[in-house]
Amino acid sequence: MYLKTLHLRQFRNYREQQVEFSAPKTILLGDNAQGKSNLLEAVELLATLRSHRALRDRELVLEGETAAQIAAMLERETGSIDLAITFRSSGRRTVSLNGESLRRQLDFLGMMNAVQFSSLDLDLVRGGPGERRNWVDTLLVQLEPVYAYILQQYNTVLRQRNALLKQQKRSIDGETENTESASFNPILRDEQALPYPLTSSPPHLPTSSQTELAIWDAQLAAIGSRVIRRRARVIQRIAPLAQSWHRTISNSTEILDIRYAPNVHAEQDDPSVVQQAFLEKLEQRAIAEFHQGTTVVGPHRDEIEFTINQTPARQYGSQGQQRTLVLALKLAELKLIESVVGEPPLLLLDDVLAELDLTRQNKLLDTIQDRFQTLITTTHLGSFDAEWLKSSQILTVKAGQIQL
Amino acid sequence: MATRRGGTLTVYTRPLARLIEQLQRLPGVGPKTAQRLALHILKRPEAEVQALAQALIEAKQQVGVCSVCFHLSAEPVCEICRAPNRDRHTICVVADSRDVIALEKTREYHGKYHVLGGLISPMDGIGPDQLNITQLVRRVNKQDIKEVILAISPSVEGETTTLYVGQLLKPFTKVTRIAFGLPMGGDLEYADEVTLARALEGRRELD
Repeated sequence: MYLKTLHLRQFRNYREQQVEFSAPKTILLGDNAQGKSNLLEAVELLATLRSHRALRDRELVLEGETAAQIAAMLERETGSIDLAITFRSSGRRTVSLNGESLRRQLDFLGMMNAVQFSSLDLDLVRGGPGERRNWVDTLLVQLEPVYAYILQQYNTVLRQRNALLKQQKRSIDGETENTESASFNPILRDEQALPYPLTSSPPHLPTSSQTELAIWDAQLAAIGSRVIRRRARVIQRIAPLAQSWHRTISNSTEILDIRYAPNVHAEQDDPSVVQQAFLEKLEQRAIAEFHQGTTVVGPHRDEIEFTINQTPARQYGSQGQQRTLVLALKLAELKLIESVVGEPPLLLLDDVLAELDLTRQNKLLDTIQDRFQTLITTTHLGSFDAEWLKSSQILTVKAGQIQL
Repeated sequence: MATRRGGTLTVYTRPLARLIEQLQRLPGVGPKTAQRLALHILKRPEAEVQALAQALIEAKQQVGVCSVCFHLSAEPVCEICRAPNRDRHTICVVADSRDVIALEKTREYHGKYHVLGGLISPMDGIGPDQLNITQLVRRVNKQDIKEVILAISPSVEGETTTLYVGQLLKPFTKVTRIAFGLPMGGDLEYADEVTLARALEGRRELD
């Protein structure tokens, strides 16, 4: 797929900007804080409807304005399509395809595919498990758009269930304080000193509240197991690709293993088996959940482990190894999306080339060639190969404006 | 110099500003719409405006909820509950009075209703006890009910409410839920995956 034009209106620091991409490789050159990454962010949003930098849509709208728009013309093998997203400083975003606005954002996903690679991606290895879950989720959304819906449903159930657990904890905490001060029974003293009740289900709760929790449990397990199975599947597919890239980049000195460590472990990849395991773990951890007033079981606690030569990359990997790992992951993403979608996705390199040494840079550039349309941001052209520069389109970004 | 906040007061004369402010509290009405509505009201004959004001107050004072089914009603028991020709053995459970109106418009349903008054949502502090669920169970328990149809939207909260109510009523009577799936006249190829999956789940044998 090939992104032909991009039009930004009141988006971040761009007032009104039309960009034509005239070569498979585009270098966005400019000082810091001029708007280079904002442009890549716009492309990322078109591909995933997610931004790794913005928490709220309000941040995407130019200061003092009420709405921002990204419009793009994308060339695919099947023909060209027009994509547009409108963000509002207060209100919901809307998406449109070929001029027609879509009722479901889900239908927008999968139109355009991109792999984002920025200097922040080292957090994939160094950061907490949340970074790795987010990585897998973003990839899944591009490969299986319906996953966006499943994940959103899971998060809603999770928030609702947490709210209920908190309520239950509050009502019991209040109650025990009262009974303790009201009646002192010396015979029960030892039992009362226990940090938590001996029975598996918290007592004193009204039946309606317990029945309600059981239903949220069932929903969490049903939707949660769909999340788990899809994550397991995508990791299984990307692991060998990443391993082979890692071997190539490290000149066969290192073996990378990617392992999914789900919070709920099931023996078989079967919907009912995973659900059953989920429910069993919920039962085991009922007391802990009750006392913490939050859900401790489920894919929101998943981990994805990277090991290099059987050593956890997170703790022991050197800087160089970690960079190799991230590069291997990104190249694997490119290949996986290409094989699933049937067309090469775009590659967004945000300030990352300068951080790679020459060997790794060349590995990356060799892979890209002219097959993957690539947008690169940089503050200076010094680190680029001359041949490479010759075949690239160079755009200068200055204070929210792009000059040829 | 007039500040932005003081703008309303200086631009509009006081009674007009008050009207605009009141209109703006309505859902879906922003400052521009409120201004348009207010100016429109001023242009109408006084009798018409009187009628509007009267209608507002009377509706507020007279409309409450039916003591049986909790649908909006000016009488203690609503028209649907009183209707002699409707099927007394079937109750359709909905979240909101708006759903009753939507179902009535189809003219396909001839039983009675029960309005829950919302959906279970712990985040909003709504549990089963905040909804008209006990009243429903009592109704089903006391009367001769042959079927309860749950017509609640398939959101996460709707699903939980459906499962909860279904579980409570199952010992007493037959409980069904409405089907979800493809819209009429819609092409299969244009249906989104979620709807299609839902429709597949709820498939049934050809008669």
